[in-house]
Amino acid sequence: MSTPTQTESANRTTLARLRDLWNDYLPYWFMAPMVLVMVMITFFPGAYDLYLSLIAEPTFNVFEAEFVGLSNFETAFTRGGAFHSFVITITVVVSALALETALGFVLAALVAGVDSGRMKGFYRVLFIIPMAVAPVSLATIGRIMLNSEIGVIPYVIETATPFAAPAFLSDVPLLTVILLDTWNWTPFMFIIFYAGLSSVPDTLVEASRVDGAPLWRRYVHVIIPYMKPVVFVATLIRLIDLFRTFGVVYGLTNGGPGTATQLVSINIYEQMFINNQLGVAAAIAIVYLVLVVALCNIIIAKVGFEGVWD
Amino acid sequence: MTERNRRNFIKATGVGLLGGLAGCTRGGSSGSGGGDGSSGGNGSSGDSTESSSGSDGDLAIPLEEYQSADIDWRQFEGSQINIGAVQHPWVSAIKPAVPVFEELTGIDVVWNILPEQQFRTKRQTDVSTGAGQFDIFYMDQVVNQFREEGWIQPLDPYFDDSSLYDEEWYQPDDLFEASKWQAHGGGYSDSWTGIPITVEVQTQFYRTDLYEKHDLEVAETLEQFRQNAQTIHENESDVVGTVGRGQKGYGMNIYILNTFLREYGAELWTEFPNDSGLDTDGVIEAAEWYTSLLQDYGPEGASTQTWSDVLATMQEGRAGHIVADANLFWPGLTGEDSQVGEDIGIAKAPRPADGTFSPNAFNWQISTSKNASNSEQAFLFMLWASSEPTNTWMHLDNGAAFSVRQSVWENDEFRSRVGDNFAQVTLESLQEAAPDPFDRKYPEWGQRYSEELQRAIAGQKSAEAAMTRAAEVAEDIYSG
Repeated sequence: MSTPTQTESANRTTLARLRDLWNDYLPYWFMAPMVLVMVMITFFPGAYDLYLSLIAEPTFNVFEAEFVGLSNFETAFTRGGAFHSFVITITVVVSALALETALGFVLAALVAGVDSGRMKGFYRVLFIIPMAVAPVSLATIGRIMLNSEIGVIPYVIETATPFAAPAFLSDVPLLTVILLDTWNWTPFMFIIFYAGLSSVPDTLVEASRVDGAPLWRRYVHVIIPYMKPVVFVATLIRLIDLFRTFGVVYGLTNGGPGTATQLVSINIYEQMFINNQLGVAAAIAIVYLVLVVALCNIIIAKVGFEGVWD
Repeated sequence: MTERNRRNFIKATGVGLLGGLAGCTRGGSSGSGGGDGSSGGNGSSGDSTESSSGSDGDLAIPLEEYQSADIDWRQFEGSQINIGAVQHPWVSAIKPAVPVFEELTGIDVVWNILPEQQFRTKRQTDVSTGAGQFDIFYMDQVVNQFREEGWIQPLDPYFDDSSLYDEEWYQPDDLFEASKWQAHGGGYSDSWTGIPITVEVQTQFYRTDLYEKHDLEVAETLEQFRQNAQTIHENESDVVGTVGRGQKGYGMNIYILNTFLREYGAELWTEFPNDSGLDTDGVIEAAEWYTSLLQDYGPEGASTQTWSDVLATMQEGRAGHIVADANLFWPGLTGEDSQVGEDIGIAKAPRPADGTFSPNAFNWQISTSKNASNSEQAFLFMLWASSEPTNTWMHLDNGAAFSVRQSVWENDEFRSRVGDNFAQVTLESLQEAAPDPFDRKYPEWGQRYSEELQRAIAGQKSAEAAMTRAAEVAEDIYSG
């Protein structure tokens, strides 16, 4: 049996050890909460998704499920339409990003060139409005406005031009999706580019003007190079966001006609919630995640650090 | 079209879409409404979990109506049941009567009402994890998937229990055969997988004023229907000959086509699960008729039309007919939302001249899971909810029009309320209805089949090529 003195000494030793443990690993303790959060919100869902992609379906009793290897990945790319949806997604992402970047910059440049402060404010508000429309509302409004029988857009086209309006949602669904997304998200690019233009030092612009450079040269050789970080960040954010597009397209075309506008996100949704193909949905999601993360990292590594932040 | 028409149509479309979001439900469908055709109704709004107990005042239905049954209604007094349901007219029609059940049995009823997609997710999680939160839940096209996974509890043992069931009082023969058949897993099960609560059947709607103007007769055959559509399409400005669902989804275009393929003598799964039958002559003929009808005499972009678009187009007076849709459109077409409410006629769905009348029908049913802790109480509720007294009250006094009981459709007071022609057409159609047999993987191959049909309607490929591809995909899904 230990005496009180021995017990007291043992307690002190334990406390000292704990203090040493705390001091020795101090940086790690500070990082621990963040690591825990990352594990919970990133690594666990990712690992769980990977696990789901490797088990038999349909079932939610995942811990009793049969391991099927890469079978779900094979199904995803054979009858699951994964490859087709990747192609559709890339088409939409590249087209919409190019249009939104170009239009956003042009609009920002035009508004920046307006002399009246009041008119500048008016244009800023006007151009930002589309971004405030919620996806489900936009899809609903889009379906009505583009309806061949009663939509205002076909009506305007047929009234103002000698051409017959196409059936937007069935004849040119992919183009329609791209244009609607462009309308919805160009304001985002506009805002960022406008802020970037405002940050270009007047002295630089004035100096190039004094040197006799015409407007387009001032943009190409002075303003745009100065704005490169802004352009890069804006396009990267929008690129990532475009890969997540779902609501507007699903509401507008349901991924159709057929699978003409079936983005990867829509394909995953259908596999999961309509076909009840949990494993196939997980497999597509894994491939998609890897591709998007890889693409973004390549862009950041190659363009970001070497071209922008050097 | 005129500005006024355009404004009116936009208004009607908005109303239709909102109505659809609020009260019309059916699965596997599009972004602008997953519904089938159940228009209107007083769908409960928003997510809710609430108890029905505690309401005051007189009971909606006298208890004597139920106490004559040889059923021990009070054997579970003091217990509680949870019902998982979608926002649907049935819920709003039966809710005021639920205090009757609570008074009769001493069982409290708790409702968990969700939008359809959220409900599906919650239901699947509930049954597959064994949580057993819902003692009763809405069940639809996934019934055989749930049954084969062992998630649904067959009701036969309860039907065999003399303290729970009185056949003479319940009158099961009053239920439509099509409803009973679908409650038996659409022919895939010998056991009751649930109790049907609502049914809808396909009918055709037409503009009586245009028929009179062009001296047309109501079409009994597909050929006459096409001719009528052509006459209206070519002689009326701003009115298309016909309108029908083109959007993909198993509650959309194939819900309509399945009627016609049966009428052409074909069937789904001529040899289950080896031969889907989707590439047979009957299916291809039906698909060719449907796609060419919509392409020739339908609105531009017919391939993207959902049920709500169809309803709105007709409400606005912009179409001569609706191709075989659900009888539940009737209130929406003849009510105050409709611009042509006085000029809408209803008739049985057309069939080929040498074909068989075989309209599609769809039932919602309520089921109980193997993990539910109050399945016997749930069975009592199912019996009560689908019984003749409850059904008659819902349809006479609370605006319902979806009864699975023939006696309701034959009830003079009900017929007077909804219109004799509507009731008679619906009754005769339901008596000869042939619902879709939802096999275990129907949601998956049905989706692909509907995508192929949508491609054909959009003119991306021929009907024959589309149906041949649909057959390959369906058979591949079962062979995989």
